[in-house]
Amino acid sequence: MSLIELQDVSKLYGFGDATSVALDEVALTIESGECVAVMGPSGSGKSTLMNMIGLLDRPTHGDYLLNGRRVSRLSVTRRAKIRRDKIGFIFQSFNLLGRLTALENVALPLLYKGHSMPKRNHEARTILERVGLHDKSYFYPRQLSGGQTQCVAIARALVNKPELIIADEPTGNLDTESSRLVMELLGEIHKSGNTVIFVTHNPELTRYATRVVYMQDGAIKYDEQTKLGEVGSYARKVMYAVPDTTEDDDLAGVSALMKIEKPNEKTTKPKKKRARRKATKKKTTKHKATS
Amino acid sequence: MSSLHKGYLRLAMQSIRASRVRSFMTMLGIVISVMAVVVVVGLSEGVKQQVGNQAERYGDNVLLVRPNQHANALTGSGLPGGTGVLLTQRDVQAASASEGVSIVVPMSSIDGDIFGDQTIKSATVIATTPELVDVINQGIDYGGFLDASDGDHVAVLGSDVALHLFNDNAPLGQRFTFRGQSFIIVGVFKQFVAAPFSLEADYNRSVFIPLGSTEKLLGTAPQINQLFVKTKSDVNVKQVANNVQAAITASRGGSEDTVTLSPGDSGASSNQVLQLLALMTVAVASVALVVGGVGIMNMMLVSVTERIHEIGLRKAIGATNRQILRQFMTEALALSVIGSILGLVGAGVVIALLRLYTSLQPVVVWESVLVAVVVAITTGVLFGSIPALKAARMDPIEALRHE
Repeated sequence: MSLIELQDVSKLYGFGDATSVALDEVALTIESGECVAVMGPSGSGKSTLMNMIGLLDRPTHGDYLLNGRRVSRLSVTRRAKIRRDKIGFIFQSFNLLGRLTALENVALPLLYKGHSMPKRNHEARTILERVGLHDKSYFYPRQLSGGQTQCVAIARALVNKPELIIADEPTGNLDTESSRLVMELLGEIHKSGNTVIFVTHNPELTRYATRVVYMQDGAIKYDEQTKLGEVGSYARKVMYAVPDTTEDDDLAGVSALMKIEKPNEKTTKPKKKRARRKATKKKTTKHKATS
Repeated sequence: MSSLHKGYLRLAMQSIRASRVRSFMTMLGIVISVMAVVVVVGLSEGVKQQVGNQAERYGDNVLLVRPNQHANALTGSGLPGGTGVLLTQRDVQAASASEGVSIVVPMSSIDGDIFGDQTIKSATVIATTPELVDVINQGIDYGGFLDASDGDHVAVLGSDVALHLFNDNAPLGQRFTFRGQSFIIVGVFKQFVAAPFSLEADYNRSVFIPLGSTEKLLGTAPQINQLFVKTKSDVNVKQVANNVQAAITASRGGSEDTVTLSPGDSGASSNQVLQLLALMTVAVASVALVVGGVGIMNMMLVSVTERIHEIGLRKAIGATNRQILRQFMTEALALSVIGSILGLVGAGVVIALLRLYTSLQPVVVWESVLVAVVVAITTGVLFGSIPALKAARMDPIEALRHE
């Protein structure tokens, strides 16, 4: 049984002509213990996917099975409880409460579980020790560096011992050094047996992932298994791509990114439908390039 | 679950402490209205007790006989009456003859200017008999009270008049002129306990002269505004009151134009007015309480709007709608409880200050404290539930996106 199974999940916003598709029949299966990096341009549906997997959002169509249990149609309260017990969130903007100390922030999810204060504090302290910040327990977020703040946020995500950790651009607001610190921590968490899904714009960070999913226009475009420590092959292309747009390309409004989107033997094609769509796109690309 | 409630309380206190000024502003409505209710009810109750005390000061065996048409009049100062029905010596005799009566003291009010070292315009001059001092339980500070052997040209002053007329606490032996007659001051009363809103004259501002002098002053028999009737001991005061009333009515040929007040009901008419006043103020204060509730609602709506992001986060990490609702309800509850406590403290201070620095003697009425607090907390929680519901129903994604 897979941990996560998205069955043709779509998310639409608006009605009629104004309908916009955030997720377009996404089918995705994630096994327990995977570390999935989700990449893609802005507006490609990464965050919607994260919200969907994190039970913050409900699919318009399709089904979502978490641990084999259909969770896409559960009540608001049920989903809140699943979030509380099984899912840990890490955000780009850290989202710590400024009025609370690091320890209180970490203990917050346990409050909603109804744990007593001594128990909450004990567990929060244990987790803070694990992320190496136990000496900062009584610091307020504003007294911590960006990296430390995100580590506290990670501790908060871990405190309820979740099966799944969802990180939406955890390093987006951090410098390289802090990013490394945070990703090392996430990698460690993954190694200790947790399932981690993280969104990133930095191809370098796919080194920490065992699988890279590339999204575009609300659909999964590439989905490849990678080895830990290796940059995903597709990500590498994004990373090392030399912009080689000609004047013609510019005129046609075609970015260099489109050019390198050639089918690759190493990447798995997720679905026939996707493939067909890609084919049509490729055709138009070629057409534009030659024109 | 109790730990969870403690948790909510901690959260609420944290959020209240985090924005102290705003929290205080939020509470202000509740504070003021609780204060208003407790102080106003305390004031009117205090005045009521003072009026009651005044009746007691005369002694619980002292009746008052007054012209009936003025029994409900609202003359603030001066003895009631002065026009219309007046009492006469015949009534005095009828009252004296009634069973169980020991002393009858007539009180006759004469207006006019008094010329001493200073002049007092339209002073209250009360012509009465020497027995007055036996009836009203009031001590003389200097000198003595009127005495039959002194003749008619003596006077006893209320303490305020003494000061005003001669700038002297004890102007004994001094003279003043009133309606062409000269009076020698033989005594000064101790300060009377002032009773605000009372029907009684302010005796501190009155001059007491012998009843016998009225003939010379006015050229007629004294026109009596009020009788103090002291009963004998060991008699039923109510029964004596009935006897007196019957005797006077009989002497007036069945005309019921006088009224006899027993100690219990001597302040009755003013009590009704006071009660009405207190009721009206409580009504106004209740409106203030509702306004206080609206204040809590508005400030909490602001608070919720400011914390949309926080609410989103709390929901993301697993807070259910109910838990968010409880958190904000607890905050509203805490605000109204703290507001009520501050209001009570404020009311206590105001009451203490009033007792210290004014003649008013407000008291703390526990029922009003209870009602004010219960109403304050109820409105606070009721109005607080609106923003709390708004917070609870927020969509976590939308809320998280909100900065």
